[in-house]
Amino acid sequence: MTQATLPLIDIDALVRDDEVHRDCYVSNEVFDLEMERIFGQAWVYVGHDSQIPDAGDYWTTLIGRESVVMTRDKQGEVHVLYNRCPHKGARIAPEGCGHVKGLFRCPYHAWTFNMDGQLRGVPYREGYEGTSFDIEDPRFSMRKVGRVANYRGFVFASLAEEGVSFESFIAGVKSSLDNFCDRAPNGTVSVAGGVFRVMQRSNWKVFFENLNDTGHPIATHESSYRAARQYSNEKLGGEMPFQLHIIDGNGAPPKFWSDLDLHAFDYGHSYMTAIFKAPDDPLSQAYFQSLAEAKGEETAKEILSVNRHNTIIYPSCSPHTSFQQWRVIRPISPDRTLVEIFTFRLDGAPEELLQRTFIYSNVVNSPSSIVMTDDVHVYAECQKGLETQGGDWVSQHRNAGQDQPYEGADGGVIGVGSSELPIRNQFRAWHQYMSDAARPADGDTGS
Amino acid sequence: MTGPGSPADGFVYDDIRDFLNLEARLLDQRKFDEWNALFTPEGMYWVPLADQQADPVNHLSLVYEDAMMREVRINRLRHDRAWSQQPRSRTAHSVSCIVIEERYPDEGRVVVGSSFMMSEWRSFGLRTLAGLYTHDLVLSGDGYRIAQKRVDLIDSEGVFEPIEVFI
Ligand SMILES: [Fe+2]
Repeated sequence: MTQATLPLIDIDALVRDDEVHRDCYVSNEVFDLEMERIFGQAWVYVGHDSQIPDAGDYWTTLIGRESVVMTRDKQGEVHVLYNRCPHKGARIAPEGCGHVKGLFRCPYHAWTFNMDGQLRGVPYREGYEGTSFDIEDPRFSMRKVGRVANYRGFVFASLAEEGVSFESFIAGVKSSLDNFCDRAPNGTVSVAGGVFRVMQRSNWKVFFENLNDTGHPIATHESSYRAARQYSNEKLGGEMPFQLHIIDGNGAPPKFWSDLDLHAFDYGHSYMTAIFKAPDDPLSQAYFQSLAEAKGEETAKEILSVNRHNTIIYPSCSPHTSFQQWRVIRPISPDRTLVEIFTFRLDGAPEELLQRTFIYSNVVNSPSSIVMTDDVHVYAECQKGLETQGGDWVSQHRNAGQDQPYEGADGGVIGVGSSELPIRNQFRAWHQYMSDAARPADGDTGS
Repeated sequence: MTGPGSPADGFVYDDIRDFLNLEARLLDQRKFDEWNALFTPEGMYWVPLADQQADPVNHLSLVYEDAMMREVRINRLRHDRAWSQQPRSRTAHSVSCIVIEERYPDEGRVVVGSSFMMSEWRSFGLRTLAGLYTHDLVLSGDGYRIAQKRVDLIDSEGVFEPIEVFI
């Protein structure tokens, strides 16, 4: 990989108001620093507590480069631990979701641990007599990550023991988490249907930039929306069933996109107003009934009137509130990013709604999606281009300087749908995380 | 008149083997329309996400496509601006271990298991997908038709780069 020749990492020199240096995407040194200063500090999405409903359940994942495990103990409490045995260092929980009978047992020398990581038992106990080993000493227990927050089942963790509170961190997009759950008649959601895993040959930030990018669909997704339209015209007299409608949406004209609103917030978060109107078919009506019965008609209408496309919770995840999708972004290396896509059941809603959620995800988020494949290809092309010496700067000029403070409910900054506001906003947060002197503190990101 | 099973019920092993080979051959030759025509009108192409997945409706699938979605996929594969198809995917399938698992002569229906490997070359290089096929075939006047083709990848729950062509 060719890297540009900045003498040392000078963070201030990498980010301008309307463009960023290519080293942000291709440099190993920048990536290492991101692992330390962004993924070592920020609140990172770990998982949903419905993945570990019972005591003894666990779910393993990554926070930056750290292998961690989310667990549930007998009291029902959720913990996030480094997945490492304090004895020889072996990972204790196997990858994925699983269950142990009350105790973790290291596969190497059978040390056992409570679900909160506390060391319970060590074989050959007599051999430790007269040594400095102490079963009560926390350094012989599995280490907990710095801080854990569980908001309506969504579990976030920060490796750092001190820093911005989760409440301040999430403030701008908290309404998206609320709407995600409020759409359920029972007020809760649960992970359902398995996990899609897609590897991208590109930097993690490329994917974040794409999530609220309205400039690309008409160009990148031409093959899929043309294919859908061709079928519709040839076989259905122009009619668009649900699956084709989703694909066709990417071919909307520029005015459609610029008429959407983009809202940006502190810490790199943002969301975009919806591309799709809520469908009005018998299933949607049955779902509305179930919501209205639980919450009253007015409240139900209010909940469904919050209709958003991707919300970005920088730097680790992106919920889609109206189709119950949740994408998790795991940087692997400067040019590899793992994206995991979860689907949620709205507890208390008709089961057919979940089936429609699966149909949506099969079309849009599956590794076999005829839509996503062109995205992933273009991200890889960006990465390859950025590795060349063909230019050092990446443009974020569209509608720069035109964003306005938003006076409505969530505050923040608003821009037209075609603005590159979310990207500039992500790099403002990136710059702050990455600058030694100016780590984000409460109320101090000034976007 | 060779292979396991009695041809008395009309299901001839060699015919079934030839049919599976032909199906794979059409995919490798990118004769997608002819391939799609091998399905019954309601025929489904299904690549489950989970091991032993019970059904395609109450769980995510890597692919669950009817005639419409298969045709849209085919339309896209042919489009000049299918960016990720530059260069076009080239594939080679091998189908083996063909076993007739269930026979329903009254319905003219037979369930056939087999193993496959598919090598694919495209922009990111060469990769191999492997797994088990389960073909739900119906025998009619003009030969076999596919009521369902189920593709159980051995790494279905693993990490994928995009899958664009039919497996
Ligand atoms: Fe896209």
